[in-house]
Amino acid sequence: MLKVYYGTLDEALYGPAWFLNNYEQSWFEDPFVQAMVVDVDKTEYKEGEVFESSVLGAIPPERLSGGVKTLISIYKNPDLIFDATSCGDNCAKWLLEIGKVADIKVTLRYAMRFPENDAFEISLENNKTIYTNRREYTLAALSVIDEEL
Amino acid sequence: MKGKHHIIVETKKIKYEFDVKRNITVIRGDSATGKTTLIELLSQYARFSERTGIRVDSDVPCLVYADGLVSWQESLSATKDSIVFIDEDFDFIKTKEFASVIKGSSNYYVLITRDYLKNLPYSINEVYGIRNSGRFNYPQQIYNEFYPLYAKRYY
Repeated sequence: MLKVYYGTLDEALYGPAWFLNNYEQSWFEDPFVQAMVVDVDKTEYKEGEVFESSVLGAIPPERLSGGVKTLISIYKNPDLIFDATSCGDNCAKWLLEIGKVADIKVTLRYAMRFPENDAFEISLENNKTIYTNRREYTLAALSVIDEEL
Repeated sequence: MKGKHHIIVETKKIKYEFDVKRNITVIRGDSATGKTTLIELLSQYARFSERTGIRVDSDVPCLVYADGLVSWQESLSATKDSIVFIDEDFDFIKTKEFASVIKGSSNYYVLITRDYLKNLPYSINEVYGIRNSGRFNYPQQIYNEFYPLYAKRYY
């Protein structure tokens, strides 16, 4: 399940930098990782450490977006807490998807817009409540954000 | 510094064209829209100018804040009449001290951040995203422009 804490936690890792120092080439061969990279960055994995961006041409992992670097880091390290503020709204559906296959916890410092999902489930860590309804979650999250951020 | 400044940042593959109208402009929005690429291009140009093959067209200097040997306070205080771009991983932009420095500054600031900047007096009309457009030489050259994230039609 996806757990979201609005605010800052000392142990939350900064995905774009953490990824650069910890990624493993084998991660890129995972179809789930490839799907995230295609969807968010419009970039295809080719081989080794080479990606093909629709904008930049052939690029190394270092030039993936901060959002997708953070998503990959979260997916491959569900035991760690990441600050998902580096992820834009277009990463939200992937946080929900990762949450379906693993228990993950992220921090956020803005009101990310989570989409409708066939199995919407987020634990709002600030009030320790699990929401399965997007509208109810959004209202609760906005209330927390107004108080905390 | 006063008024609107028209900026073009261009390489063979990518072009950014936008106006900076106020002393504080905020860029946020989806991942992978080219925010970091814009910062990287301006950083390279600031160091190596035309030798980079990057064209920057602006009536005032476009600078990128980077960690250095001096504090951010000293660095920004020493910068005059420029547009200063600050990327998302500098937390000092959320502080009251930064708000105070900006208030007495002749610079314009373009802040790339999704954080809520409660200490800064910026206009909701100056919060932008970056989007690709098929204008000009697409797909050989990608054309990027700023668009207002909170345009009136959305209210």
